[in-house]
Amino acid sequence: MHTQEVGKPMDIFIATLPQQIINGLTLGAVYALIALGYSMVYGVLQLLNFAHGDVYMVGAFIGYGVMMAFIPESGPLFAPVIIIILMLLVAMLGCGVLGIVIEQFAYRPLRNSPRIAPLISALGVSFFIQNAIQLTLTAQFRNYETEKLIAPAAGIDLGFARLSATRALVIVTAIVLMIVLQYLIKRTRLGKAMRAVAIDREAAAMMGVNVDRVIIFTFFIGSALAGAAGVLTGIVFTRVWHFMGFAAGLKGFTAAVLGGIGNIPGAMLGGFILGLAETFAVGFISATYKDVVAFVVLIIVLLLRPRGLLGARIPQKV
Amino acid sequence: MSQGRKPLLLVLVLALLLVATNAVVFAQAPEQTIKVGIMGPFTGPAASIGQEQLNWAKLAVADFNAATGWNVELVEGDTQIDPAIAVTIAEALISDPEIYAVVGPAGSQEVEAVAAAFVDARLAHISGSATRPSLTTSGFDTFFRTVPTDAAQGPTDGNFLAYELGVTKLFVIDDQTSYAVGLADEASAAFEAAGGEILGRESVTQEDTDFSSLATVIGASGAEAVFFPGQIASQGALLARAFAEQGIEVILFGADGFFSVDDFIAGAAGTTEGAYVSAFAPDIHDLESSADIVARYTEQYGEFGTFGPPTYAATIVALEAIQRAYEAGELSREAVRDQVAATDQELSVLGGPLAFDENGDVLDASFYIFQVQGDNFVLVPTSADEAEPEATPSS
Repeated sequence: MHTQEVGKPMDIFIATLPQQIINGLTLGAVYALIALGYSMVYGVLQLLNFAHGDVYMVGAFIGYGVMMAFIPESGPLFAPVIIIILMLLVAMLGCGVLGIVIEQFAYRPLRNSPRIAPLISALGVSFFIQNAIQLTLTAQFRNYETEKLIAPAAGIDLGFARLSATRALVIVTAIVLMIVLQYLIKRTRLGKAMRAVAIDREAAAMMGVNVDRVIIFTFFIGSALAGAAGVLTGIVFTRVWHFMGFAAGLKGFTAAVLGGIGNIPGAMLGGFILGLAETFAVGFISATYKDVVAFVVLIIVLLLRPRGLLGARIPQKV
Repeated sequence: MSQGRKPLLLVLVLALLLVATNAVVFAQAPEQTIKVGIMGPFTGPAASIGQEQLNWAKLAVADFNAATGWNVELVEGDTQIDPAIAVTIAEALISDPEIYAVVGPAGSQEVEAVAAAFVDARLAHISGSATRPSLTTSGFDTFFRTVPTDAAQGPTDGNFLAYELGVTKLFVIDDQTSYAVGLADEASAAFEAAGGEILGRESVTQEDTDFSSLATVIGASGAEAVFFPGQIASQGALLARAFAEQGIEVILFGADGFFSVDDFIAGAAGTTEGAYVSAFAPDIHDLESSADIVARYTEQYGEFGTFGPPTYAATIVALEAIQRAYEAGELSREAVRDQVAATDQELSVLGGPLAFDENGDVLDASFYIFQVQGDNFVLVPTSADEAEPEATPSS
């Protein structure tokens, strides 16, 4: 009853590899965006923000709400590109604000507590958001009506693979967001302050950096990226529901650790590697072992490079 | 003399009246509280199924109470289709002495997890959707179901694919639940027996939403059809979308779990057009004998698929068994179980007679195959229906 391949396995591997790379990059782009928020917050606060996955879920729902508000029941659609941009912007803004609120109420009062306290607080926030969404929007699945914005069959046939328009949109959007983020961090004053706080919070404060402002900024940006990831997930995988943040958050966290937690390019790299690893596992090994492969990759990387692929040595505080 | 008789007659008439009114009171509602439990995935990934089952159970209890003047309460236990949660819920229901029967749980994996506890408590439970064959052959004498088993469904599906659709190469996916694994095995065996070839078998989890990679694998395998008896209808839609996106043409065949207009048809944006699902219950919208119930349900709760009505049937079985046990003068869990086993309905909501065999399986049940056409599931006539012998009433 078990697998009998038609054709030589090697032929199938070569024939499907390009398509699997496209599939993997899409998934990886989403993971990378989630991982960035994890990594940024960890870099600045050494805090694992386990509510991050739920911020992503809220972003997916905000995008859904905007989509439903602007798609008419019938009749011609007005400028789908503008609707997509609006979905992204509203979700990013909404999630950014949510991130600031979470920081304000759940983490700030515990900033000088032992590190386990904000961790527990993060889990509490996660449960709170999930259940709040379930209570208000019920546990039903919602489906993005992506087909009304982008035709499901739209895309380019590359001959060896098909790049659908939705996947192109997801990958390009994610990359644009990452470039903007790099610019923010490397070229602006606030980005410089962020890097300073990440290296040494007390020294940065003594040099006149407004640490509170930097932390708020970090939460805003990280959460906004998660919100964008939520909308992109909705566009490409269509199904959103209140519990989607748990698995995605875990994957984002894994990607962040894989790339070196606290390291921004590392989070991007980790996300793409994890997405590709999962996709290749399904494509060339077995769908059953998808998560096994993903975590084996993590373990191997951590064995060889305990701080992750691009992890810098973080100065230990006494 | 005649004067002396009158008071006697009066006394006699009075006594008769008293007995009569007493009898009426006796036939009416019992004074003690009587509850029926229901276990189902009211939230979580299978919530669309669970909510439908819950609403149908509520309707059944309301109908029963209205007809008998009883005041039976329905106790809800949300299992989220998770066997571990189902165990906790089962213990809670068992520990309530006012519960005399339970409807559910919904999934085969949940029944497997809780059946032994129900046997110990001598509490009958009747599922309207758990179809794994082994559930009724494992000696759980308190378990009953109003739907046929996969031992019947698997071959129906495998044969339909091979003979009716002429498929020779099939790819099989399960979602790691005991329901899907069992059904996928049964259907694969029938399909291979019919001369077909299984090109691959994969397992996904119920949380998966990215089917693009699997779609690529299936597209490259050369399979003509995919059999995916998952429990989560939206996963069928997501797989269909992935095929459409990559331009892969393959017949998608699902089972009961995919019978959801919202998730499998509306949620797929046309990509499931032409897909098949097999279902353990008829679409009772088309049944004349159930038109009244359909109208009342739709008015109160909206649209529904095939998952709710068998739960209505299961709830009615439970309630009538309690009523018979009560009227026989012995209301206990054991007595209710015996009455459930003795169920003999001439016409259930599912459009036929309803009775159980010695294992707790429904007698003479058949499976139905539907195709997605436009916004709806349309019943596909199969040769099995034609071959079915006419039901001849004995003497």
